[in-house]
Amino acid sequence: MTTVATAPERRRRRLSGSTAALGILGLFTIGALLEVLPRIGVLNRRFFPPSSEILTTLIEQLGEGAFWTAVSDTLRGWAIGLTIAMVLGIAVGVIIGSVPFLRDVTSSTIEFLRPIPSVALIPLVVLLYGTKLQSALILIVYAAFWQVLVQVLYGVADVDPVVRDTARSYRFSRWTQLRQVVWPTALPYVMTGFRLAAAVALILQVTAELVIGVPGLGRNLGVAQSSGAVSLTYALVVAVGIIGIAINLFARALERRILNWHPSVRRDVAR
Amino acid sequence: MSMSPFRFSRRAGLAAVATLALTLTACGGDGETTDTASPTTDATTSDEATDDAEAPAETVDLTVGVIPILDVAPIYLGVQEGFFEEEGINLTLELAQGGAAIIPGVVSGQFQFGFSNTISLLLAQDNNLGLKAIANGAQSTDDPMEDFGAVVVPGDSDIQDLTDLEGKRIGVNTLNNIQTTTINQLVREAGGDPSTITYVELPFPDIVQAVANRDVDAGQLVEPFRTLSLNAGDRNLGSNLAGVVDNMEVAMYFTSQAYADENPDIVERFTRAINKSLQYADENPVAAREILGTYTNIDPAVAEAAVLPRWPGEINRDTVQLLAELAVGDGLISAVPDLDVLLP
Repeated sequence: MTTVATAPERRRRRLSGSTAALGILGLFTIGALLEVLPRIGVLNRRFFPPSSEILTTLIEQLGEGAFWTAVSDTLRGWAIGLTIAMVLGIAVGVIIGSVPFLRDVTSSTIEFLRPIPSVALIPLVVLLYGTKLQSALILIVYAAFWQVLVQVLYGVADVDPVVRDTARSYRFSRWTQLRQVVWPTALPYVMTGFRLAAAVALILQVTAELVIGVPGLGRNLGVAQSSGAVSLTYALVVAVGIIGIAINLFARALERRILNWHPSVRRDVAR
Repeated sequence: MSMSPFRFSRRAGLAAVATLALTLTACGGDGETTDTASPTTDATTSDEATDDAEAPAETVDLTVGVIPILDVAPIYLGVQEGFFEEEGINLTLELAQGGAAIIPGVVSGQFQFGFSNTISLLLAQDNNLGLKAIANGAQSTDDPMEDFGAVVVPGDSDIQDLTDLEGKRIGVNTLNNIQTTTINQLVREAGGDPSTITYVELPFPDIVQAVANRDVDAGQLVEPFRTLSLNAGDRNLGSNLAGVVDNMEVAMYFTSQAYADENPDIVERFTRAINKSLQYADENPVAAREILGTYTNIDPAVAEAAVLPRWPGEINRDTVQLLAELAVGDGLISAVPDLDVLLP
């Protein structure tokens, strides 16, 4: 990584370095603003504590076992839900996408079911599972599944007909066709689906915790809110935000790693 | 006993989703309580049960749906003091956010017992959900100015008494429930016309803010928000709960009629333990305030200053009757229900 860097690569690095710096500067400005406004009385301090107070509360939380239990509950629900959604989405997407008849039959149904907001299922899952993790999982899977499915469908449809026909004329087995032709084409789409689904899964996990009372950070947030603990409420919101950023970074890193051979990720290809 | 006809028909109606749900259960990872049936006669006799000669032969695992508010302090105290253990009950308290999940949870057998306000229970009975109240949950005090509920206005508001609430906007945490019904009654008693009031539904923390920002003219609050609001200079017009009647039965512990029919012994043991817990909390307010720190994030100074509900060991039946009549008057329920069915 160190020795020879080509000119464009160096420029890229400098650029990404300064982008990060700008990002941090922006964050810092907002933090400073939220520190000053409550102190000079523009924002009511009873409801908007200065950012330093929120940060102190957050740091206090880092020392609490209950906080980390909640973090792991949230991440566990997120990971399980996301995994189920990915497996289902990929399996169903590849099957439907590979059979034109199925694709035509299901397309209107998919377009009908997809826009139903997952949160509309809350009354239903409360009845079935109450405050158990399953409640959150149903919401997550319902929301994230479509993100993955639609991407996989596009990915499968994107297979180059010439390549497909070539594979057929060489009498590749269905499985080999799938592995050697369909999957590499669909993979970038799958990864996009993964990134979208990862974000959606976190949103619904936290929603289920906050609204239903499934154990996790969202429920702690709800308890803090109904206790009138304002800075703790904000501290937990920040904590959820940090997890969201971490998940996004993780999804992007994974995407780069898995697609390191793909032109959209490779740096040595002229763009 | 595992599946009441009621629950079965619900589930059958939701077959498609249930199928998905079952698939999820299989992959769910936590195999502890996949069985929704109430774990009544769990024969895994725990150490405590054998140690304790007083305890009944079998220990039961019960789950109770509660809300993270001050009112449920007694049940936490009862667990801490071992009152449930004495009855051979291994209690799990589930914090259901906002209470929305509690009645459905008890109906579906997710929770064996739950905590709910009296009007919600009357509404549920009006809809034939088959619930049975078994013990007091929280009662108002007998002093409208010193109660855990309050109608507050900004310190410099023109509103001086209850009749001034006519034509005003009042923030309440649930429309068409105990708070609106009791405020209506207060205004009516004071000679005003409650139909002129506009109620705005907001969560309690937001009511405090809405009052401060003048988004509403008045707000109905309960502790700890009452103390937070009064500390910030808002004015207390008096409690809509104690103001209507002393020691009003504001909330109760309940179970489903089906569970009560099938497990009379467990219900009896639970009722004994909760009544003991309630009395203990009523007699030991210091302990009640201390236990708040274990399940809420209420600032200790606020917990110290807050007015606690009254927690006697029996239901104030007359006030349930009164609330039922008020609910009929407001059109929330069709007729005063048979209290012998709802109450023990």
